[in-house]
Amino acid sequence: MSKKDEKEFFPFLWDSLSSLRLTIGLLIILAVASIFGTVIPQNASPGEYLQFYKPSTYKILKILGLLDMYHARWFTFLLALLSFNLVACSLKRFRGTWRFFSHAQEPLEAAQWKALPLSRTLFLKGLPADSLPRVQEVLSRIFRTPKVIKNSQACHLFAEKERLSRLGVYFIHLSVLVILAGALIGYYFGFRGNVNLVEGEAADRIMLRSEGQAQPLGFRIRLDQFSVSFYSSGAPKEFKSTVTILDEARPVLTESIRVNHPLTCKGISFYQSSYGVAGVKKAVLTIQDRVSRKEITVPASMGTKTEIPGGTSSFLLAQFIQDLQGMGPALQVLLFDSNRPHENFWVLLNHPEFSQKRPGTYQFNIKEIEPRYYSGLQVTKDPGVWVVWAGCFLMMAGFYAAFFLSHRRIWVRLTEKGGKTWVEIAGASHRDRAGFEKEFEKMIQALREKGKSNPEESEPSP
Amino acid sequence: MISTKMLTTVTFLYLLCTVLYFNYLAFRSERLGKVAGTVSWITLLIHIVAILLRWVESYQMGIGHAPLSNMYESLVFFSWCIALLNLLWEWKLKSRFLGAFTMPFAFLFIAYASLAPGISDRIDPLIPALQSNWLHAHVITCFISYASFALSCAMSIIYLMKLRQEEKGQKETRLTALFPSLDSLDGLVYKTIVVGFPLLTLGIVTGAAWANYAWGSYWSWDPKETWSLITWFVYAIFLHARFTREWRGKRTALLSIIGFAAVIFTYFGVNYVLSGLHSYA
Repeated sequence: MSKKDEKEFFPFLWDSLSSLRLTIGLLIILAVASIFGTVIPQNASPGEYLQFYKPSTYKILKILGLLDMYHARWFTFLLALLSFNLVACSLKRFRGTWRFFSHAQEPLEAAQWKALPLSRTLFLKGLPADSLPRVQEVLSRIFRTPKVIKNSQACHLFAEKERLSRLGVYFIHLSVLVILAGALIGYYFGFRGNVNLVEGEAADRIMLRSEGQAQPLGFRIRLDQFSVSFYSSGAPKEFKSTVTILDEARPVLTESIRVNHPLTCKGISFYQSSYGVAGVKKAVLTIQDRVSRKEITVPASMGTKTEIPGGTSSFLLAQFIQDLQGMGPALQVLLFDSNRPHENFWVLLNHPEFSQKRPGTYQFNIKEIEPRYYSGLQVTKDPGVWVVWAGCFLMMAGFYAAFFLSHRRIWVRLTEKGGKTWVEIAGASHRDRAGFEKEFEKMIQALREKGKSNPEESEPSP
Repeated sequence: MISTKMLTTVTFLYLLCTVLYFNYLAFRSERLGKVAGTVSWITLLIHIVAILLRWVESYQMGIGHAPLSNMYESLVFFSWCIALLNLLWEWKLKSRFLGAFTMPFAFLFIAYASLAPGISDRIDPLIPALQSNWLHAHVITCFISYASFALSCAMSIIYLMKLRQEEKGQKETRLTALFPSLDSLDGLVYKTIVVGFPLLTLGIVTGAAWANYAWGSYWSWDPKETWSLITWFVYAIFLHARFTREWRGKRTALLSIIGFAAVIFTYFGVNYVLSGLHSYA
């Protein structure tokens, strides 16, 4: 690259990076690209993809990064480019905006005066020194208290309103960067995972979703109880996990986690996300000896043998299913005779007739059964989330300033003309021209009221 | 259910409003305009009473919740928002040219709620995911913004009709005589988007805040979230394009129509075509 090229290259780069055309182009590309991500299922397993797509299509989609699109390099690159563009555009325009804030408003030059969209002139009785407080009063009442600069030739007044409006667009652009920064903080310093807790059990680590690794929590969380309730229609009403946080073995806090009511401990939040049956918490069976007609009631547990009194038989519960082929809760019983496996059958809570039909010495029925649930909790640590909310707040403030406020300015010059005060008044507004014109007219009207005893007036000066 | 019957009546009233507004444009009689306006205000009133009654009825059933929880209820609310914004703009502009183009939207959405198969008008109890105070803030902001975009779309259609006529050098027809100038229409398209865009942003933010409580993540690229962002991008393009001053009039009017198409897809398309977490409405 020759020196001349180099000289022209950087301004060219800057011009492209700070152009609104790039902004519009990037927004169009991002919008169109995002559509692909909603049509192609994201982050599914290869098996699921191969059901939809031919192996060759699958390969192409994978190479293009369309299967985890929003985290793909090219998508991140587009977001980064948009951020640079945003910064460049803002810097380029900020210089122009800053003059409304930096230097104090000096009296206007004649040329500037002419360039203003609204201007009027009128006479007030008395000398400028007498008129000044009256003009000040009108401006303060209808607009804003003016700043006064007196010099040898004239007396200048300047007042402005809602100057902040000029900064609105910068707030919005900054807020986008703040939100993206919050997302990055969450990505690098946070984690996302799951833990399945069986009632009565505790965990000190969780499984991370992306890498499938374990992440230590720094404390233990124990599921004391899980409960689920339903409406009469069958739709779920509430899922509730009651958990205890343990520091070493010492319980620190017992709290319930429901959908929409997460629990946060030491920056880590737990969310109710799924549940299921892990086994039996309590099962009471009735066993009837078909010969002696004697019936006994025994509590039983999973995996441990229970002796049947008055015989050589024993049994254990092998499996519990919440709903066996639509017939409701069912227990699988393994029956032993002289310690040798003898029989293996299902006992149904809602269908005792099955037990009656089954041949054998004993007839088993379920008297009481309480399932042991496990609760699936989603576990998240995201230190960036407050940064994101701060960004959202800034964005809303920015919208208010940019769209609903309007920077309005008024200049007045008072000079002496033949023993009277010659008033020149001009104004400009950033937006909402029509609204400002009304305000301006109201002010002219009020000034005319002040100088009523003096009917001489003139329309805009030549 | 009385509220459901009232809402069926309201559906026909919106059809009547549409017809009245078209007649107003066709005959340019101020009296007809007044009738259309009055009937619209009455319809709006009956409509909100029906919505509030549905709220009361849900409490009588013992499953009380605001009627903003499923496709039927959201469509009914959306339709109300469109009619409300239409009347507020008419009042602000002191002109009734808009009704003939917005009332059909109000009518179509509420008619779709009552007639479409698969949309139940039954009051159902809230499932755990919807039991949150974020529901109100999220649904209300989203639908006022959608309604504002519907108005913007209607203004753009009017703009394009008038532009076509002027380009062809045709004389104003009966229908177009009452339309404001192209410049004012262009301004109105912008103004309605300036109302809708911050509200859409607030709708997305409240949705994100809610998702953070319910699903443990403020953004998970769910199809509904992504499409709301696509819609946001379209209107962001509109605002930036208009800012450059190269894009005015026809192009921005088309962008506003594309934006509303994105709104409609976010609302319906995602539920019917794609699948995701946001399965209620």
